Amino acid sequence: MVVKVNKLVKRYKDLIALDHFNMEVKEGEILGLLGPNGCGKTTAINCILSLLNFDKGEIQIFDQKMTPNSYEIKKQIGIVPQEVSVFDNLTVKENIDYFCGLYIEDKHLRKQYVDEAINFVGLKDYLKFYPSSLSGGLKRRLNIGCGIAHKPRLIFLDEPTVAVDAQSRNFILDGIKRLNKEGSTIIYTTHYLEEAEMICNRIIIMDKGKNLVSGTNEELKSMITTTEKIVAGFSDIDEEKVEQMRKLPHVIDLVKREEDYIIKFENGINNLSNLLEFIKDNQLTYTKLYSQLPTLNDVFLELTGKELRD
Amino acid sequence: MSRLIRNCIYLGKNTLRDKTFFFWSILYPILMAIFFYTAFSGIVNQEFEPVDLGVSPDSYFVSIFEEIEILNVHEITEEEANEKLLSDEIYGYVDNDLNLTVKESGLNQTIIKQILDQIVQVGGLNVPVEQVDMMVDYTISNNQNADTLIIIFYTLIAMVSTYGVFTGIETVSLIQANLSEIGKRMNIAPLRKSDFIISGLVGGFIMNVISNTLLLLFMHFILKLNLFTEFKYSMLFILLGNLFGLSLGMMIGSSNKKSTNVKTLIAVAVTLFLSFLSGMMSPDIKIILDEKIPILAKVNPISVITDNLYKINLLGITDDIYEGLGAISIYIIVLNLISYGFLRRKSYDSI
Repeated sequence: MVVKVNKLVKRYKDLIALDHFNMEVKEGEILGLLGPNGCGKTTAINCILSLLNFDKGEIQIFDQKMTPNSYEIKKQIGIVPQEVSVFDNLTVKENIDYFCGLYIEDKHLRKQYVDEAINFVGLKDYLKFYPSSLSGGLKRRLNIGCGIAHKPRLIFLDEPTVAVDAQSRNFILDGIKRLNKEGSTIIYTTHYLEEAEMICNRIIIMDKGKNLVSGTNEELKSMITTTEKIVAGFSDIDEEKVEQMRKLPHVIDLVKREEDYIIKFENGINNLSNLLEFIKDNQLTYTKLYSQLPTLNDVFLELTGKELRD
Repeated sequence: MSRLIRNCIYLGKNTLRDKTFFFWSILYPILMAIFFYTAFSGIVNQEFEPVDLGVSPDSYFVSIFEEIEILNVHEITEEEANEKLLSDEIYGYVDNDLNLTVKESGLNQTIIKQILDQIVQVGGLNVPVEQVDMMVDYTISNNQNADTLIIIFYTLIAMVSTYGVFTGIETVSLIQANLSEIGKRMNIAPLRKSDFIISGLVGGFIMNVISNTLLLLFMHFILKLNLFTEFKYSMLFILLGNLFGLSLGMMIGSSNKKSTNVKTLIAVAVTLFLSFLSGMMSPDIKIILDEKIPILAKVNPISVITDNLYKINLLGITDDIYEGLGAISIYIIVLNLISYGFLRRKSYDSI
C-alpha cells in the first residue's frame, strides 16, 4: 500500500475537520479526493504529509509511519500545493532547478530531470521568465513542474486547476495522466467532479471531514437509486401535466430548475421513449429533451442531500 | 555541504533580486546619507576647533588636560568658571575631584565627558597618573575631520548594519509551513530546517555586508566623508550589527503569523526608532537621553554600535569596546534562543 490512513481525527478547537477519516491508496492509482470546499481535503493531505498535527489516527506511507523526520519517505514524494508556491525572484528554470535540487544531488541527473520537467509542463519558451510575468495558467504549470521534477513515486496534487483557463486545465489534466502512466501514484484533490470523473481510477467522496463513499466512478454511481436523468423544457405545460409526468413509470423525482424540468428515474430502460409517448399523447411542445447518466454530483446529492457545488 | 552552498546561492539570488531588499538595504541608506549630507552640509566637514575647558588650578589633572590637543585649558576658579560658562567662553569646568559642570548639552560637552571618563577609567586601574599616556590624542590622531554631526552618519551605519533583519524575516517565512506556501513545500522536502536556515542566514549575511560596503564606499568616495580610522574594530561592530539584525529578523519572523510585509514594517519601525534614540535625526536627542536615561544607550543596540564607532574612530578609544561587543553578543544569543523556541516545532496545529 502506498498510503494508508486509519481513523484520522483532526480538530480545530470545537470544529472537527477530519472525523475518523480513512483512506487507502494502491501503487499506480490516481485517487481522487472529491468534496465541497471546506470538507477537509487539504487538511487530510496536510496531516498525511506531517505538516499538521492530528488528534488521533495512524498514517503510513510506503508501509512506514510518516513523521516530520521521515526524510527517506519524503524523498519519494512530490507535492503541488493549492497555491502557487515558487520564488518570485527566481526564473522559471531556476525555480524548477532549486526544488529539484532539494531531492536530487547529482548535478547531471538533476539537469536531465529539470529539462524533462520543463518540457513536461511546456515552459520551454519561458525559461528566463519570472513568475510574476507568467499568466495564471503558466504559473500553475510552473507550480507543477517544481513539484514533479524529481520524478516522485507519490504525488499529491491539491486542486491544481483552480482558476485556470480551459486550455491550461486540459494541459494539466493530460499531464497528470502522463505522470501516472510513467509510474507515479497520484492523490488528486478537487471539487470539480468532471475532473475526478475524467482522470481518477478511484474516488473518495468527502463531506464534513468524513469519507462518505469510495470506489470507481461506476461503482459510486451504482450505489444510488437514480440511474437516469432526463432534462426537458416545455413551451406549454401546466401543473396538472407536470403531476401526470411525475407519475410515469420509474420516476423517482421531478424538480423544476429555471425553465427546465429534471426528471430522475430509478431504472435506465425505455424512460426516454415513455416520456416521448407522454408528450405526444398530451400534445405538448418541448423545447429541449435529453437524457443524462447520473454524475458524481448526483451521488453526492443523494448521499448528503446537497449539491457538491453548494 | 554542496546542498548548503546551493541553497545559499539560490536564496542569495532571490534576495538580491528582491525589490524590497534593494530599496531598504541599498537605496534607502544611500538616500538617507545624501539627505543628511545635504541637510547638514553647512555644518559637516567644518574643521574642528579646540574645546575650551575650565580646570581648577589646584587640580592634580591639569597637566593631563594640557597634554590633550583638542582641549584648550583655562586654569580658573569655580567663580570665574561660572561667569565663563554663562558667557560661553568655556564649554565645561572640571574641579579637583573631576566633577564636570556644563551649562548645556552639546557635542563639545560630550567630548569633555568622554575624556573625563577615560581618565577615571585609567585611574580605576590603579595606574599612577604619571604613567598615563599623555600623548593620547582623544579625537583625531589620524587626520580625521572632526565633523560635528558625524554621529548621524555613525547612527546611519549602525542602523543599516542591522538591516539583515529583512533577510531574517524572509528566511524564517520561507521555511515555516504556517507562514508561507513555499514553507509547505520546504517542509515536505527531505531538507532539515536548520540547514535551510543556516544557508538562508549566510546568504543574507553576505548580501547585507555587501549593501553595507556599498553605503560605506558611497560615503567615502562620493560624499568624501572620512569616517573610519580604526577599520578593524569598526568592522567588528558592523558585522555584529549584521548578526544582530539577522537574529532580530528571525525572532520577528518566527514569533507571529502576520504577513511578511507587516513584519517588514515592524522591522523598519523598530530599527528607525532605535536609530532615532541613537541620535540619527538629531545628535541633541542622544545627548539629552544620555543625560536623562543613561542606561538607554547601553541597552539600545544601535546606540551601542553608534557610540562605539564614535569612540573608536573619533576619540580613538578602543580599550572599552568589549562592553559593547558583549552587549550585542548577548542580544544575538537571546534572540536566537527565542527564535529556536518558535522554530523547533515541525508540525503545526493549523496552517
